[in-house]
Amino acid sequence: MTVRIGTGDYVSPVDERVRTPEPLAPRLPDIAGRTVGLLDISKNRGEAFLDRVEFHIEAAGARTIRWTKEIFSKPAALALIDEIACRADLVVEALAD
Amino acid sequence: MQEQRAPALSVISVDGVVGLDALTARGAALLVFVSEECPTSAMALRNLGPLCRGWEAGGLTAAVVFEDPLDVALRVARRLGWTGRVLSQPPPYAASRAYGLVTVPTTVLVGPDQAIEGTVVGWDQPRLAVLIERACAILGTDGTALAAPPASEPLLKPGCSSKAAIDPEVAAAISRSAADDEMEEMYERGWTDGLPVVPPTLDRVEAMLGGADGAQSLGLVPPSMGEATLERVAACAVLAGCRPEYFPVVVAASRAVLDPAFNLHGQGVTTQPAGQLVVVNGPVRRAIGLNSGMGALGPGFRANLTIGRAVRLLATLCGGAVPGGLDRATLGQMGKIGFCVAEDEEASPWEPLHVERGFEAGQSVVTVIGSDAPLNISDHRSRSPEDLAYVLAWAAASAWSTNWWPLAEPSVFVICPEHSAMFRDAGWSKQRLREYMFTAVRRQAGELRRGETTPLVHAADPEIAISKWASPESIVLLVAGGEAGRYSAVLGPCTGMGSQIISREVESA
Repeated sequence: MTVRIGTGDYVSPVDERVRTPEPLAPRLPDIAGRTVGLLDISKNRGEAFLDRVEFHIEAAGARTIRWTKEIFSKPAALALIDEIACRADLVVEALAD
Repeated sequence: MQEQRAPALSVISVDGVVGLDALTARGAALLVFVSEECPTSAMALRNLGPLCRGWEAGGLTAAVVFEDPLDVALRVARRLGWTGRVLSQPPPYAASRAYGLVTVPTTVLVGPDQAIEGTVVGWDQPRLAVLIERACAILGTDGTALAAPPASEPLLKPGCSSKAAIDPEVAAAISRSAADDEMEEMYERGWTDGLPVVPPTLDRVEAMLGGADGAQSLGLVPPSMGEATLERVAACAVLAGCRPEYFPVVVAASRAVLDPAFNLHGQGVTTQPAGQLVVVNGPVRRAIGLNSGMGALGPGFRANLTIGRAVRLLATLCGGAVPGGLDRATLGQMGKIGFCVAEDEEASPWEPLHVERGFEAGQSVVTVIGSDAPLNISDHRSRSPEDLAYVLAWAAASAWSTNWWPLAEPSVFVICPEHSAMFRDAGWSKQRLREYMFTAVRRQAGELRRGETTPLVHAADPEIAISKWASPESIVLLVAGGEAGRYSAVLGPCTGMGSQIISREVESA
């Protein structure tokens, strides 16, 4: 993209296209009877954190499904995202150690 | 209240001309008319900008309408954290005139039926809060569904004259004054790594491209997935200070870092001090004046400094990995400005890196490696290759973290000519040195169980010896540096990135 500064034209190193933000999914009023996905991104102690989260979620009447990302530093595989989207009503992600 | 229809709108966005229909398609629209030079406009953008995404999700499309060119609008909006739509109107500012603007900022709420539901002039937090409440009402949501503007001081601030309301020549003069100093403008636009840059004029970028098709894409640059067209890569090379003859090396390095197996995504956003080491082999080193001799890892040589910098600028400007923004590095390191090393193949007793990796000696090749900053290793006293190999290897024992053994990712040793000569004289091959180093650095698991350590160490029998590296292949050996002085260096890895070493041939222009 060419931009004009004063009387000169310059080539922008930036991809100036602006993406329209994706709207948030509708929030659920409560989780009783729902399926909650628990995603461990493979960071240190993510599993221990999700164990505690799972305890509280099950106490609230929801069932859980656990998933693990192959590696924390790369985006999740599309197949994994699809599976979570198909099987879970919401997802809790354990992000960092 | 008498209903007032919103005047038609025809303003420019990155995707083309936008009208009111598009802005009200999802519900209501909040139009914020601003100009670049107006401090109150900047204040409004700062305060309202972070709320736009939430408003959009709730059915209120927020759009800032600048009385400035689109590129200025995009830059200012980005700098001030505006997350809504960005629109621009050229002189004579027909949109501002149609809405009867006297002042910027002026905020106009337009309902789904394109009736004007309210207008706020200047920065007026209480009235803006009421306007957002009104938006909730016409969208049929409760009064808290859309976040109210923050009650930050001052609550009231008068705006500036709309350019539509002043003499057109005066308006043009105001617009010109902001762009008097092109060097400062580069900073203002964020087209920098903090150091001065060479402005990417059309002529300079064209010369950099050397006739190549600027529209050709090398792929998407993570994390923001900006498209690395050759034109943008060339703009980065110009900004970095490259000469056109360096460009094929910059392109090869860009192709290499964009290989998904390199995981530039992870390296770009990590809290680690992850740099992208660019190693150049083959005839192109001499052809473009890359230094592999005295001061090979330091300052003084344009090709070395600017090629690495161009790759980093691509990652930050096109890829959006801006330090302090999406680049979350806790400390960072100076190699993140750019780090390009040429191997001194002529002084090396061994096959060069690119030959090890399957290329012919006569090919020019760029290899990229995710790496930490270099650590100097002085050894002027070893009198045997075993002693020297031991000293070099143990210098890396604390790479990444003191007790993090083994490292699966590569540690890069840059061996100086005096050190490499000792191995040559003793008849040591590269592989023999690598295996000796691998075997030399071992500790018992029990000694490593303090603070941060690996799951392997944690689970192992305390008496078991653990190596610093997962295999000898985790040790990369290069030769570079001045002929005098016995100083080598090691660059530790990025860990947890699953990053592979990637090589790409340099294609002639």
